[in-house]
Amino acid sequence: MSDLLIYDVGGCEGCPLSILRVLPQLEERVHVSSKALGNLSLSRDYDYAVITGSACINEERVTSIIRRIREKAKVLIAYGSCASVGGITLFCRGGQRPRPEHRTFLPISSVVEVDYAIPGCPPNPTLLVNLLDSLEGEGGSRSKYFLSLFSRVAKEKKLSGFDLMDEIVLSGLCIGCGACVLSCPAHALHMVEGKPDLMPEKCIRCGTCCVRCPRFTQLLLRRPALSRGVV
Amino acid sequence: MFPVRPERPLGEYRSVYLANTLREDVRRRRTGSGGAVTSLLMYMLDSGVVDAVVASKRKGGLTGEIAIARSSGELLEVAGNRWGVVPFTSMMREALSREGIQRAALVGLPCQAQFIWQMKTFPLLEADFSSKIRFIVSLFCLGTFATEPFLNYLKIRYGIDPSEISGIRMNGKVLEVQHGTETLRLDIRDAVSFMQLGCLTCPDYTGVFADLSAGLSEEHPQRTVLITRSEEAERLLREAAEAGYLEFEKAPVTVIQEITIKAETKLMRANKYLSMLL
Repeated sequence: MSDLLIYDVGGCEGCPLSILRVLPQLEERVHVSSKALGNLSLSRDYDYAVITGSACINEERVTSIIRRIREKAKVLIAYGSCASVGGITLFCRGGQRPRPEHRTFLPISSVVEVDYAIPGCPPNPTLLVNLLDSLEGEGGSRSKYFLSLFSRVAKEKKLSGFDLMDEIVLSGLCIGCGACVLSCPAHALHMVEGKPDLMPEKCIRCGTCCVRCPRFTQLLLRRPALSRGVV
Repeated sequence: MFPVRPERPLGEYRSVYLANTLREDVRRRRTGSGGAVTSLLMYMLDSGVVDAVVASKRKGGLTGEIAIARSSGELLEVAGNRWGVVPFTSMMREALSREGIQRAALVGLPCQAQFIWQMKTFPLLEADFSSKIRFIVSLFCLGTFATEPFLNYLKIRYGIDPSEISGIRMNGKVLEVQHGTETLRLDIRDAVSFMQLGCLTCPDYTGVFADLSAGLSEEHPQRTVLITRSEEAERLLREAAEAGYLEFEKAPVTVIQEITIKAETKLMRANKYLSMLL
């Protein structure tokens, strides 16, 4: 049985709390180590490590823990919008109690190499169960497609409604399918004459809309090859 | 990589069938194809496999809106809207919760099938209704139009009032626009410039993320081509046939070749347009 580490580096606790709901299903598949189970250890190796929360680069302890987890894990998964693309913590300006010096939060991929990044605020935890199944080789080409997508998202430093507007809507690639509007947890997107429009002040930069958009996902996956001139 | 590839333009699938309805009420409502999708969905509603079918229906002209059918009768009302002009799914979550739906079959285009499958398998949000998505049907799709420019073109060039348009269908290389009691026949080359750029970059003709893909074959215009992609789709099709809703048989090689050529053409078109977008 594979070993899974679940570690929260700070945030609203929404992601680690939601993962608690699927602990029984996870334990049927992997041996889980986490703070919630009282068996957390950073001194052993893991097959998979799930990090929730974003990296506060003003706190050396946090960045060193993230580096340590990277060393110990064969596969590192940034789970949730804050861990994967920064999310709402990107707006942090510091000065808040109890740690006013904490002012810069970045995605985990800003500190270490991440294998898979899963946006969502928080993701529905059944995603984690299905993701582990897919990583263990279950599912066909459709699951592999999304594994490659989550792997590609791990190379992005940011994804948000702003990127969706720039890359898809304003560039004319939007087909008006409504996936982004359906997916926005902050109701920052709405349809105007058949196309999505962004209410900038509402966007929490969770990246969910981008990863749901059929055209954005296609662009993300094809861009590295296209930029090398491979069609 | 995307599940549609040059060596597998139809994606992973189990079987390809030709099917048609056995129900008189569907025959009366259908608009040219075999009515097999409507009949299968009616069976699923009648037998309690699903408690709702979510699809889109024409609201007027080329605009569409979400349609939820809770019974066979309601389903018949939205049947025949196979050319889902402008997909409209942004209200899906609200509609499903408002109606208290627990198990839905969703009918859409390949792009919609992709994100609905994603919602079901990799739900990015707590609010995703993944547990309610029971069955996904995708209609074959060559692309949809940029509605406003196309309607303006029809009005300026041919004097057609958008509100009079009752249907659009492909017939070989001709696009037939039904308006009032007349039909305008447009060469597909004239119409393609009004297709959405996003559709021109889409590689998926059949809807590889669906449980069941459905569309037309020019060789058998009175029947529906069905592509099954899950064991459940196979089972439901057998059950619907045994219950007398529809009949089906393995599609001949010529039909598979026809669909494959269309799928390859769309894939090549997507590569061509994508290569322009760095």
